[in-house]
Amino acid sequence: MAAPAATKIILEQEGIFIHSNATRSEDHESLISGLLRVMQKDGEIMVEYKPLEDAVDPSSMLCAGKDTSSVVEWTQCPGDRPHRPVEPQQSYETEWDMINTVSFKKRPYANGEGVSNHVHERTKWAFFFNLGELKSIKVKTEGWSYLVFCLKDDIPLPAFHFHQGGSDAFLDCLRRYVLLSESPGDESTLMVCSHSKALSQSFENLLDDTTFGLVQKFKKDPYTTTLGGFSKVTNYIFDAFRGQDMEHQQRPAEEVADLLNEVIPGLEINQQEEPGFEVITRIDLGRRPDVERREPVSAEDWAKHVDSEGRVQSVPHLKKIIFKGGLCHALRKEAWKFLLGYFPWDSTRDERKNLQKRKTDEYFRMKLQWKSVSEEQEKRNSRLRDYRSLIEKDVNRTDRTNTFYEGPDNPGLILLHDILMTYCMYDFDLGYVQGMSDLLSPILYVMENEVDAFWCFVSFMDQMHQNFEEQMQGMKTQLIQLSTLLRLLDLVFWNYLESQDSGYLYFCFRWLLIRFKRELTFHDVLRLWEVMWTGLPCQNFHLLVCCAILDSEKQKIMEEHYGFNEILKHINELSMKLDIEEILHKAEAICMQIKSCKDLPNSVSEILGFNAETELPRLEVSELEMFEPPQPSRPAHRQECVAGLISNDSIFNSGKLPKPNAGCCLPQREQCAAPRPSKPKPVRRNGTTFRGASHRPEPKRGDV
Amino acid sequence: MASKSSLLKVILLGDGGVGKSSLMNRYVTNKFDTHLIHTIGVEFLNKDLEVDGHLVTMQIWDTAGQERFRSLRTPFYRGSDCCLLTFSVDDNQSFLNLANWKKEFIYYADVKEPENFPFVVLGNKLDVTERQVSKEDAQQWCRENGNHPYFETSAKDATNVAAAFEEAVRRVLATEDRADHLIPTDTVNLHRKPRSSTTCC
Repeated sequence: MAAPAATKIILEQEGIFIHSNATRSEDHESLISGLLRVMQKDGEIMVEYKPLEDAVDPSSMLCAGKDTSSVVEWTQCPGDRPHRPVEPQQSYETEWDMINTVSFKKRPYANGEGVSNHVHERTKWAFFFNLGELKSIKVKTEGWSYLVFCLKDDIPLPAFHFHQGGSDAFLDCLRRYVLLSESPGDESTLMVCSHSKALSQSFENLLDDTTFGLVQKFKKDPYTTTLGGFSKVTNYIFDAFRGQDMEHQQRPAEEVADLLNEVIPGLEINQQEEPGFEVITRIDLGRRPDVERREPVSAEDWAKHVDSEGRVQSVPHLKKIIFKGGLCHALRKEAWKFLLGYFPWDSTRDERKNLQKRKTDEYFRMKLQWKSVSEEQEKRNSRLRDYRSLIEKDVNRTDRTNTFYEGPDNPGLILLHDILMTYCMYDFDLGYVQGMSDLLSPILYVMENEVDAFWCFVSFMDQMHQNFEEQMQGMKTQLIQLSTLLRLLDLVFWNYLESQDSGYLYFCFRWLLIRFKRELTFHDVLRLWEVMWTGLPCQNFHLLVCCAILDSEKQKIMEEHYGFNEILKHINELSMKLDIEEILHKAEAICMQIKSCKDLPNSVSEILGFNAETELPRLEVSELEMFEPPQPSRPAHRQECVAGLISNDSIFNSGKLPKPNAGCCLPQREQCAAPRPSKPKPVRRNGTTFRGASHRPEPKRGDV
Repeated sequence: MASKSSLLKVILLGDGGVGKSSLMNRYVTNKFDTHLIHTIGVEFLNKDLEVDGHLVTMQIWDTAGQERFRSLRTPFYRGSDCCLLTFSVDDNQSFLNLANWKKEFIYYADVKEPENFPFVVLGNKLDVTERQVSKEDAQQWCRENGNHPYFETSAKDATNVAAAFEEAVRRVLATEDRADHLIPTDTVNLHRKPRSSTTCC
């Protein structure tokens, strides 16, 4: 592997694949794995690809091999076959999709399926070229990125598939020597222009970290030994390596490999890391700004925003001060109705009275529906029976230490029960899913009124609906988005998590499903939720809340060398130990830090809603500045929208990857930006549940 | 297969509300909380114990029981050494669902020889007065579905909880292809232990 003395290797990435036969489907023997290098040779920059001949590094393999069993649970394939049905494949991309669905692997099966053993076939794929000969690079994404180089003599080379990521780093490296600019007619093509010193200078700064980001992938490579120069991370590097080895000795083979490889099938975060047409992975985000939080909004503050007829004025400002400090408790009962969208901000008191009257009728009409089901009827309605049984069980174990719900026969419990049952009538497809009682409990506590609590809960559920649906699309989308953000914010930590097979962030599942309800004390939950419901300072702020918490824990996690299980345990045990103000403080600062960053990856802008048509003013510019983001009262709207489209276009149904990052493609964006009906109804599936379990994935059901 | 330490992974499965978390907490911390909050996601606790002279660390995994969470639960099945199928004696449906749980486990844990995999069946909430599942029915199901040991437990008053978990360890130790690498120094022929011996209640 050592290069000749005159040659200096600038960047090397392994696990880059060529597909040597694009027409044969399901033929994994035609995958060539190799090394892609950028080298300096006699003052010239060369790009070289070398297929790996014999010593295929298992850690770089992706196996489509046996056992896709855990994939199918994200899919909806009809029939008995445990594996994804083999459909006629149009192209190698689709074939790769299948591979990707099972590729969250650090270690392959021993037989190494999926990688060619045809050594003789490999050598013909080796090549190198002078960077000066490069004309353009096509950057494509299919859940992972692949690059197609086109030389000046118009000879296209085979596509290089970066199944383990790293295409950004690779392009960054090239940018040190040439200027890459988007082709005017085709934004997926980067034109190679003349050498740019200024540019190379600016990327010089980025390179160190970029290179470091690749360390994990180089660990079998001698160059890693030279990385000690990265003094600030030296300890981490060695520890990370040592940690992995130790772990392999300590842990039962199955435990890590099995849990880890396929924990969330379909969630291919390491493939998702290179969305679209981005060329910058590691960005210097700059200093995290100081932000100030303020006191909760007082009744007096609120009153100033209400006109004589009861309309709320200066809503953007009001939202901003709610974001900055939350609400004093006495105000919540009123203010939450607006924040959640139950009351329109511009409605008068009279209009709201009428609204409440209508909503009361509507509520009791639905309540009567389940109340009037006889025992005999219920015997023939297994779904209602199951909903009721689970609601009864869960109500009995929801916030029972809170005085509002404690003790036997507490009226709060009856209300929880009745509202949840009525919600089943409101949305029978979804019915009751565990976690919903957690979302309702604080709302009921604040509203102290069955009808208002119900409708506020309905509004909250509109935001959270996808989390609870059959396929849990909302959860998948959010975990991927969170990974994208975390990667931008802290590549070192992200890499560490990856190295511990925790890159899919499963340990954040509970945080996201019920918006930190179990992580914070009851009153902190109230504070966090009202802050989130302002929709400020960006879309998906709750994901930055996750980042803020992880930012505080990363040191411990890395220093103590937590592996997969320990990370899960550590995060689970943070429950009730978190300080909400500290978290909100940090999360906002992170938002500002990202927002002020130029050249933000598109995927990140998409997630946080920075791509909105009108540029949002910076929050710190003026305390009193008024602004309103595009979906102020529905922070989760965009995410729902993207996710809804994903579930609609059946990516999961065919076993393909979720592609929230690929949400930068235009059709989705346009649809997301489309006006929303006033009472949004997220796309939902028929949520038929059946008791116990099935040994096979559920057949696809049509929408009702 | 790589050499294995004496870490045993045991997973609790069963319908929502049958008492999986309570059983785990009772066993590991010897505490019981009537209103223990229902599990969201996946949790686990470790417990060191000695069974028949073998020191083992039992890693007990507790999952959310609702059907909806299947896809987030099942990946954790892999690598389990034993599965505790749990129902509640006051909930017939949870008993009827045992077969589904077993099926789900075998499928997603990728168990090679299901007939040899150690399952232990727990009928929890023995303390409640109104039973819906008789001991005989439960024992019969266990006999007919692979001769699984059956324990009637109460996480509330700690009845049989330790016995059930310890039996799980014995079953693992007795499983042929695991005994040798669990305790490499031990050559006692554990795996000849008859499988159908256990009844404890």
